[in-house]
Amino acid sequence: MKKIINVFLLYIILFFFTGCFAVMEFKKETPEKISAGKSEKNPESAETFLSSSYQQKSLEYEKKNELQMALYYLQIAGSLNPDDKIIAKRMAVLKSTFADKARRHFKKGVVYFKKNKLKYARKQFLITLRYNPEHKGALDYLKNRLAPKEYIIYKTKKGDTLKSISRKFYSDNKKDFLIVYFNNLETNKKPAPGTTLKLPMLKSYSTHLAISIRNDLIKARNLLEEKRYEEVLNIAGEVLEYDLMNREAADLKNAVYYHMGMQLSREEKYPEAINTFKKVDPKYKDVKRAIREVIDKDLMKANSLLREEQYEEVLALAEKALDYDKSNKVAKDLINTTYCQKGRGLISRKNYVEALKVLNKADALHDCIEKAIADVKGVMKKEAEAHYLQGVKYFLNQELSSAIIEWEETLALNPDHKKAKENIINARRLLEKYKKVE
Amino acid sequence: MAKPANRRKTVFGRLFPLYLLLLAACAPSQARIYDDFIIVKATAVDTLPSLAHKYLNDPTKDWLISEFNDIKTLDAGQEFIIPLRPFDKGGLKVNGYQTVPVLAYHGFSKDSPGKMTVTEASFEAQMKYLMENGYHVISLDQLMDFLEFKEQIPEKSVVITIDNGLSSFSDIAFPILKKFGFTATLFIYTDFIGNSKALSWEQINNLSKKGFDIQCKTKTHRNLTKRKKKESFKDYFKSLEMEISYSKKLFKQKLNKECSYFAYPYGATNNLVVAILIKQGYRAAFTVKRASNPCFVDRYRIHRSVIYGDYDIERFKKNLSVFNKIKLK
Repeated sequence: MKKIINVFLLYIILFFFTGCFAVMEFKKETPEKISAGKSEKNPESAETFLSSSYQQKSLEYEKKNELQMALYYLQIAGSLNPDDKIIAKRMAVLKSTFADKARRHFKKGVVYFKKNKLKYARKQFLITLRYNPEHKGALDYLKNRLAPKEYIIYKTKKGDTLKSISRKFYSDNKKDFLIVYFNNLETNKKPAPGTTLKLPMLKSYSTHLAISIRNDLIKARNLLEEKRYEEVLNIAGEVLEYDLMNREAADLKNAVYYHMGMQLSREEKYPEAINTFKKVDPKYKDVKRAIREVIDKDLMKANSLLREEQYEEVLALAEKALDYDKSNKVAKDLINTTYCQKGRGLISRKNYVEALKVLNKADALHDCIEKAIADVKGVMKKEAEAHYLQGVKYFLNQELSSAIIEWEETLALNPDHKKAKENIINARRLLEKYKKVE
Repeated sequence: MAKPANRRKTVFGRLFPLYLLLLAACAPSQARIYDDFIIVKATAVDTLPSLAHKYLNDPTKDWLISEFNDIKTLDAGQEFIIPLRPFDKGGLKVNGYQTVPVLAYHGFSKDSPGKMTVTEASFEAQMKYLMENGYHVISLDQLMDFLEFKEQIPEKSVVITIDNGLSSFSDIAFPILKKFGFTATLFIYTDFIGNSKALSWEQINNLSKKGFDIQCKTKTHRNLTKRKKKESFKDYFKSLEMEISYSKKLFKQKLNKECSYFAYPYGATNNLVVAILIKQGYRAAFTVKRASNPCFVDRYRIHRSVIYGDYDIERFKKNLSVFNKIKLK
């Protein structure tokens, strides 16, 4: 009997030393092996086998058109067999196909939305999310743009009072207390112009307004196709006046300025094009790229004008480019080169003072400018000295007035010329004495 | 006194099962953990809830394993995946989208049904039907995560809500819900508390501590869309503001709990009411429009299906739509 008990006790002890230790060892090993995705207990062949079975599952889901599951199983297969290039390639293809389909359905949804076919739009956004559950645009449309609005946003103007706003929106100036409540205003004080107010939409009003706004926007979209930009801007402006956050109206406004900018660019009116593009929301379409292209063209035009010595035009074009992009090196260089060329032109016409003024407007560290300033200063010094000596000659010939003129020329070119200053004072004294004697 | 041979058998008989028990208890379920999933090989002692508890820290998330692997139970030696990220946000499929029914009950009675009163037997049969047919009762927070595309929920999800705060909930519905392990949300209007037929503050507090969700349904249960005779617009607005803010403040004070959801008395609402709810910080609100809820339902007009006292199980089943067919490709 004791033997049997001992055997069992031995089993249990052995079990604890083998089985449970095995568990502990397994648990201990997991973090490293797990993160590496490999385990000594699961040889590579087993991983490969598993991977191909999950790959198979992925295919089954793909056939059933359950795309997220197909992708998930493919990712599992890939994690188990990271060296398998076919899986990696397939995953890249799936991801790119889904992204492409999501993009196409989203675009379709936006088109339906703009045509006010909301049910169709919703379906397209749902399909988009099936391909890409994280698609921000589709989520925004589903959660916000397709949802009924509770508020409209109004930006106050000069002269607005809470009562006048209440009358404008609710046809009743006594509903001003609603504006106070929903905007946490302390009293019935007149809001400062430019204050953004949230105005709750009351049922009858909102229905009427919503329909009217929608009709206006549909009309504006048709006008946009006919390129009647001013009319589109008027409608979008009116809608935004009532509802500052109306994205469709904002989109229309962006579209108009974008098209106008492109038109001006085609007409080579680059500064005007940049000004117009600046009115577009930077996130709209490829407006940033469009502006960069216009700036490039603008600077190319400026370069050709520089060759024709049309300095003022060159400077205006380059400054416009810098207005948009303060760090534009080409524009900066063009400005410095323009001042340098203009300055050198003045030097050659012996208009040294003016040349120095022009050169001083540019970046003193610019190679051309630095050299031109040094040159003009050197020439001015020489010229100053020549005038000084000519003045001395006149002085010795007792032609004091002519001497003074020469020395004044000297000082104009070199204000620090001490001898010229002293000589002018002496010559003037002598002139005065001569006058008294005469 | 037992003979030695018999004693040997007895000892053997007692120790051998003990050994097996220890062997089974200590046997590991093999697991390999990756960033987005875990591969597990099940053992005889593993169940879906035990593995959900072990690897997802929540035994009620067994459905995630079940739905991902398309399995109902586990077999020893079976290898399967535990997903670590959502794989079905919004419940969108090629042939349609998921919808979530929100059931609305009011009163309960032992055996005398009324229009708004469900009998104990009916309620038990309805809960049993949910349990036996694979429905998962989820909370309002889970519903919101689904509506906001943050998390996925079980394919067959349902929400249970009970309106007004009648004391019959405590006597009849609560034990049944507890028996099936279901949760529920109680939308209570605060003026009713203290009435002889209503739950007391103490009962409400206890229910809250037991995990039942207590939410707001105005102060007086007035119809929020109807202006009373001779009531000026300003007085109507003041009344709406009070109805919506008072119960929220009172629950905060009495239960130290934030009210995030709101049920409209008679299911009636309008734009002004919703605007006030948004200003007061409510996350969502519920009507009684009989329909199930897709991921794109308006958060301040979430549908609920009222379960009336005369509903048999067939009629009840009609309110449990969890999928809407429409081609999504």
